[in-house]
Amino acid sequence: MNSTWLLYMFFSLALIGTGIYALLAMKNLIKLFIGIEIVGKGVSLALLATGYAKANILLAQSLVVTFIVVEVCLVATALALIINVTRHTKSLDVRSLTKLRG
Amino acid sequence: MILQIGLLIGLVLSSVLAILAKDLIKAAIALAAGSLLLGIVFFRMGAPYAGVFEISVVAGLITVLFILTIALTKAEGEVAESKAALWAFPVFFVLFIAIDALVMKGLMNKIPALPATAETGVFGDVLWKQRTFDLVGQLAVILSGVFAVLALFRKRDKDE
Repeated sequence: MNSTWLLYMFFSLALIGTGIYALLAMKNLIKLFIGIEIVGKGVSLALLATGYAKANILLAQSLVVTFIVVEVCLVATALALIINVTRHTKSLDVRSLTKLRG
Repeated sequence: MILQIGLLIGLVLSSVLAILAKDLIKAAIALAAGSLLLGIVFFRMGAPYAGVFEISVVAGLITVLFILTIALTKAEGEVAESKAALWAFPVFFVLFIAIDALVMKGLMNKIPALPATAETGVFGDVLWKQRTFDLVGQLAVILSGVFAVLALFRKRDKDE
């Protein structure tokens, strides 16, 4: 069971690494947010895999469902923020946020 | 197990595609495909509720929200990603996967297997009785999300 768990952890860590690279290297606001989503996928895979390996799948499942609901609220708020920022700075570039304008 | 590994590889590849795709719509669709694969993985692990939520909410609703945002912000033109970031990605990815595999291989016999206590009952009991406090937190998060979106899209008053 332990090796199965480590296999899932391998893939979950690969997802988290990919997402963190997007967060570090990309400039487009929507691409950055896609990076956050990928990290979220890795985390939910890790949660469920741990529940699966410890035969506690119901508890892990309820945590994942909670996580998904919270994620949807996060997405709605963050995309609304992105739309507002884009209207304000006239660009999707994250670097345009460093210029303070009234 | 082999099918499960194939699904997981597909998930990682579609996530990579979502990051590398130049067209944002293609990136959003690749993300949705990844969610679909993750949902199937959840089903096969014996977690049907998490799979249903993953497929319907993450692959469905979040993709719609992403495409809506891309359509609304399309007028502002594209942002050129730096070439270095795109070229460095394969190197980073291969290195990261190699380190990841080595770490997991090193951990193979180090972590003692905890005694697995099989749980009984149904999903509803666990969600509603054991994790009641989570549900209160969820309500608070949903409410704050609604208020945040309302505040962000509020109509300006005439005198502002």
